[in-house]
Amino acid sequence: MSRPLTTTTNTSDIAKRVLLAVICAVVLALPWLVGPYSLQLFILTMTYGMLGLSFAFTIRVGLPRFDSAAWWGIGAYTTAILMTKADMSFWLTVPIAGLVSMAVGYVVYRVAIPRGMMVFLMFGLVIALAIQQLFGSVEFFGGWGGTEVMKPPAIGGLVFDGKRELYYLGLSFLVVNLVCYYALMHSRIGRSWNAIGQSLKLASSVGIDVVRYRMANVLISNFFLALTGSFYMAFSLVAVPATFGLHKSLNVIMYVVIGGIAYSLAGPLVGALILAFVPEYMRVASEYESIITAVVIILVVIFLPGGILGWVNKQAKPWFIKVDWTKLLGRAKKPPGPPGSQ
Amino acid sequence: MIGGIYALIASGFTLILGVIQVFNFAQGQFYMLGAFVAIAAVTNLGLPYPVAILVALLATALLGAVLYFGVIQWTTRSGFFNTMLVTVAFGTVVAQAAMLSFGSREAVLPPVVSGTISVGGVTIPNGKLVVIAGAVVVMAALHYFMKTRIGVSMLAAAENRDVASLQGINPKRVFWVTMAVGCGLCGVAGALVAPVLAASGTMGSTIFIKALLVVLVGGTGSMSGALLAAFVVGIAESFAFHFFGHLGLLVIFVLVAILIFFRPGGLLGKPLPVPGE
Repeated sequence: MSRPLTTTTNTSDIAKRVLLAVICAVVLALPWLVGPYSLQLFILTMTYGMLGLSFAFTIRVGLPRFDSAAWWGIGAYTTAILMTKADMSFWLTVPIAGLVSMAVGYVVYRVAIPRGMMVFLMFGLVIALAIQQLFGSVEFFGGWGGTEVMKPPAIGGLVFDGKRELYYLGLSFLVVNLVCYYALMHSRIGRSWNAIGQSLKLASSVGIDVVRYRMANVLISNFFLALTGSFYMAFSLVAVPATFGLHKSLNVIMYVVIGGIAYSLAGPLVGALILAFVPEYMRVASEYESIITAVVIILVVIFLPGGILGWVNKQAKPWFIKVDWTKLLGRAKKPPGPPGSQ
Repeated sequence: MIGGIYALIASGFTLILGVIQVFNFAQGQFYMLGAFVAIAAVTNLGLPYPVAILVALLATALLGAVLYFGVIQWTTRSGFFNTMLVTVAFGTVVAQAAMLSFGSREAVLPPVVSGTISVGGVTIPNGKLVVIAGAVVVMAALHYFMKTRIGVSMLAAAENRDVASLQGINPKRVFWVTMAVGCGLCGVAGALVAPVLAASGTMGSTIFIKALLVVLVGGTGSMSGALLAAFVVGIAESFAFHFFGHLGLLVIFVLVAILIFFRPGGLLGKPLPVPGE
């Protein structure tokens, strides 16, 4: 469908700005609109959304990671250990957590990334299990009972101990995360990543060093996963190995796929929002909850391969034909697609 | 002993990955299901243990075929990654359903054979020998199965799907049989360990990851590599567990990483096939 460019740019711009402004206003006003329990769910949604963002970031270069929760845990544990053992301030531990995660990640992925996607994937699975074992069985990390942090983060006189303060703290982490990913995606290196995701062979034939670019991508994703872990420590105040297991990494993937895997910015957030709230409101019985979630995943993959956002985009097109939805939601020009689809 | 189990699960996994190009995540859950079905067959129905193994094999193979026809058939179009995710979800359904119907506490079969045997100063319980013997028998059966008509067409489909279907091989038939065989191998593995190890709802995921290590070490597409690697990993794991306790897995992982660094294809076999690359 071709549309006349000259007349629609204005309408599209205005619609985009109005939509963004409404979303921003709702997000900013949220702590005064909902109760503390819902607010807690929203904080969790932001945490999981950030994990999903990092997953969607590496899927751009065709590397599905199954170890998101492990690096998330490394971030959380770094913060916890530094705050309890070295008595550091929370703000100082945040960048250190990111750097630790990058350094460990470099050593591990130095082996995995040159061997291609399949080895990367299997390594991820093993890391997911091994890191949990490491945290659980070494006394230094507090054993299976976990490590507790006594004091919430504070800046000046402002102490982040209430739900509202934590919500805004999480929001600032999320915004930093989103802005960085958006900027990276639209830079020169981001275009190279897109090229790798679309066709590995083509990308390497035009002179992109696939291994180095993939490594950079994965390490940046590692950095932000660890940052998310630090934020998680700020609001949960305790790190337990069981939190950072493989099941959490699998959940992260479900957020991304439910939201729409081609939408690397909005998709994970929408998916996390849906999977955090829908089970709450249709609380059937806790034993059946995971079965229902799993069946929903299967149905979504079979009937809505583009995820919720893909479906909404398709439905919304006839009405909002003038709005360039795809660009707004952070979608790649041609969806990089899951590996193997080419 | 555990090496034989790894060999069964890893070869089932390799088979499915090689032929259908599906990363079957539900493998560990099929293993768990096999153990529970065998236990239920012996304790509730009063069947003798060898028959219970057959029941477990048939049940898991049937479920594998159901997984292919009900789910995987529809998702292979939407790509490797989505299919993998669907097997994760299917595994969750199986695990939860097993938990609900068999209870969440650990179950164990009474030992089939008792007593120990002493070989060169090492004492081995007879029960574990039965597991090893069973694993060897199943591996031999698999070896002969791959020589039959359908087995050869499976190998052909793994080699080149399009050319195989040009030769008159029905890919759909090959695929569901592969799925059934791959999942049935896990079921047998589960049924074999039921008298030795306690069966629990969480036994699946850990063993699946270890089977992945075996696949990494042995190299995919190579059955003998999987067999060799299974015993290497099994023995290495026993030593690592003895010396490092729960950190054993981490030690094994580091060793495997070093091996992969120097030999990308594992001990035997070629580097892993990468769909779409």
